[in-house]
Amino acid sequence: MSSPLTRRGLLGLGGALGAAALLSACSSSNDTLPVATPSSTTGKTVFTQEQYDALVTSGPVAPAEMVSQNAWAQAIKAHGALRRAGTDTSPIFSLRNPSTNRLKGFDAGIADLLAHYILGGSDVAKLTEFSKTTVDTRETMIQNKTVDVTIATYSITPARAEKVAFAGPYFVSGTAVQVKRSNNDIKSYADLNVDGKKVTTETNSTAIAAIQKFIPKAEVTLFTENDACVAAVRQGRVDAYILDQSILLSNAVNYDDLKVVGEPFTTDPYGIGLTKDDPGAKTFVNDFLTKIFTDGTWKKLYDGTVGPYVAGEAPTPPALGGVPGA
Amino acid sequence: MEIIRSNAGVLLDGLTTTILLTVLGYLGALVVGIVVAIFRVSPIAPLRAVGTVYVEFFRNVPLLSLLILVAFGLPDAGLLLPLFWCGVVSLIASGSAFVCESVRSGINTVSLGQSEAARALGMGFGQQLRLVILPQALASMVQPLVNVLIGTLIGSSLCSAIGISEITNVTQQLNIKYAEAVLLFLVSGVAYLVMALGSGALGGVLERRVARSSHQRRQVQA
Amino acid sequence: MSTQPSQRILFDEPGPRGRRTIALATVAVALLIIALVIVVLAQLDAHDQLEPQKWFFFTQPGFATYMAYGIVGTFRATLVAAVFAFPFGLLLALGRLTRQPLVHAVCVGWVEFFRSIPMLLVVYAFLLALPSYGLNLDIYWKLVIPMILVNSATTAEVFRAGILAVEKGQSEAAQSLGMSARMTMALVVLPQALRLVLPNLLTQLVSLLKDSTLGYVVSYPELMERGRILTSYTHYLLQTYTIVAVIYVLLNFGLTRLAGYLQSRGNRKSAGHRGSRTELAATTMA
Repeated sequence: MSSPLTRRGLLGLGGALGAAALLSACSSSNDTLPVATPSSTTGKTVFTQEQYDALVTSGPVAPAEMVSQNAWAQAIKAHGALRRAGTDTSPIFSLRNPSTNRLKGFDAGIADLLAHYILGGSDVAKLTEFSKTTVDTRETMIQNKTVDVTIATYSITPARAEKVAFAGPYFVSGTAVQVKRSNNDIKSYADLNVDGKKVTTETNSTAIAAIQKFIPKAEVTLFTENDACVAAVRQGRVDAYILDQSILLSNAVNYDDLKVVGEPFTTDPYGIGLTKDDPGAKTFVNDFLTKIFTDGTWKKLYDGTVGPYVAGEAPTPPALGGVPGA
Repeated sequence: MEIIRSNAGVLLDGLTTTILLTVLGYLGALVVGIVVAIFRVSPIAPLRAVGTVYVEFFRNVPLLSLLILVAFGLPDAGLLLPLFWCGVVSLIASGSAFVCESVRSGINTVSLGQSEAARALGMGFGQQLRLVILPQALASMVQPLVNVLIGTLIGSSLCSAIGISEITNVTQQLNIKYAEAVLLFLVSGVAYLVMALGSGALGGVLERRVARSSHQRRQVQA
Repeated sequence: MSTQPSQRILFDEPGPRGRRTIALATVAVALLIIALVIVVLAQLDAHDQLEPQKWFFFTQPGFATYMAYGIVGTFRATLVAAVFAFPFGLLLALGRLTRQPLVHAVCVGWVEFFRSIPMLLVVYAFLLALPSYGLNLDIYWKLVIPMILVNSATTAEVFRAGILAVEKGQSEAAQSLGMSARMTMALVVLPQALRLVLPNLLTQLVSLLKDSTLGYVVSYPELMERGRILTSYTHYLLQTYTIVAVIYVLLNFGLTRLAGYLQSRGNRKSAGHRGSRTELAATTMA
């Protein structure tokens, strides 16, 4: 093994910069540590904060009467900010920069664009109020109205749709396979459907169903945290980590001894979790999604967040509805 | 109730895992704890030092911190144990520190005159331990040792945090799946209660037994 | 050589031959320990785990501050839980000692229940179950309230033992002076009991501090949770979790030493009052 400090591109940031970032992270009472901004692997570049803010403020704004006629949107306008549940440790979808305390990523962008659609204005930092959520608390936070929306790589499923309403899908991902970079035996999920192969995934993730359906012979170990699953793969406790491709890609960015193999073997449509009590919420958010799909905002957001990590051009935005639960 | 019936297998597996973790952890802790107690009272200074460091480390380290270190830290040094055994090893390490202290303070309750008298009668080390010290020390050791058993049982729940499917973990997963919180938590809560109270009662019986037999022995000796 | 009580119980002072055997064994054991340490270090080195930056990353001010805030979080949970759990435990102990049957039964039930179930189960209840019944607390309280509930029960037992350890003669004397049962408890028994249980309350604090590690489960940023987050940044699992464990040991070691000191002082003060001695509780595993 060569020197880890030079090997780990991430820690390239380390030292003084990391320390400074951490210091400010602590003094601003922010409780998460950064995973450094990933570098590009495809030629497209990740948004800077300025580019990101510019995209949000150039996004569409709903006509005033549209907001005032919708009770859900009106309540957000009255509150002055969109309350969003999400994560702040996902390098591609929603990652906090500790030196500015700002969130950036595809999900963060959808949230900020939605907030801007309702509220307008140019101070992007003040558009949303963020609450951290985990796989275990996503439904509850919507049901008890702790938040207005959950935008958190949140797959639409019929079971979840019994508890919350889903607008979207706004992004289509799929369950994929992550293995150690040095592992050349496993080229797709099919190679794992063998007695004695061990896989891991997160509790309460959609991957559990995918494993039962596509890799029934593998032995499954469940952890509640992405970190624990990553450790299990890297330390050889399991052969592969099965989860949503976008999260696995983030891991591969974060840990250079991991890779994602094969194409996704399921389709995971991400939706925006909303209350079931007010059907107007879903209508309003779907209108918003249609707007950013057609005016090109969605593609620009994709290119500046997910695009740099996925080979090929940006896909066409998904069709609204059309999946069970949406 | 339907949920309990249709998931009886999973719940029972969880319960079995909890019991296995507890029993293996406790038996291991008894063995290791007694060995460390012997270290701590031995006349060999380095052994005493090892014993002291061992006890101070493992009784002061939070079990969860230890579990995570064993499950996710040690593999980086090439020590990759199956998760179940990570749980057992951590329970043994933590429990044995308390067993050691219970045994040591049990021995300390025996008055010095007793062993001096035994030695004056020409008893050897083994005889002395078996006939004089242990019968008296045992009575005051039973309760703390039962407490370690209950501590091991309760501690085994933390194995849930490193992905071992014991009863707490099963409860939590079923709860996510079915959102039948009250019933599920009640069932596993009662399971723990029964096991803990059962161990406690067993301890009570043992304590009376030991007390009676050592009392009788003393009467015979007198 | 030093002779602890437990050694004097088991062994006579060694004679000249005994001393020689002990000296030999000491050398042999010392060599064995050194060999063991070398094996451990070799094993670590074989897996590249000894590189200095892997162990000293946390001396960088940013990391150090980050972990220091973790310790602050640990104290914030531990001390606040203690502030609630200790008086609550005292009330439960008094309730358990009262002759009022209903109060007695409720207190016994409460204590036995929370003494017997794992705190993690209570944490999961607050984290996963209760929110769907409308009780959705801040993450901090999802950690601290289970700590209070579980430790109220164990603390109650500490207080009860303390109250029962106060000599009977004390309350008899007070009552013969015409004090009511309540006055006797408040003015005579409790003050003595509190002094008796002080060391055990510190042990109880150790137990609370250990329980605060469950912040890892609810994502409350105490030391354990911050350690976890740190690993996703540094990727040094072994080192970070070892350092976290050592910090916990040092904190708890300090508290147990303080408890031992208070214990020995208390015992010296009440020397001769054999009945008023309480053994230091050593049952705070998890």
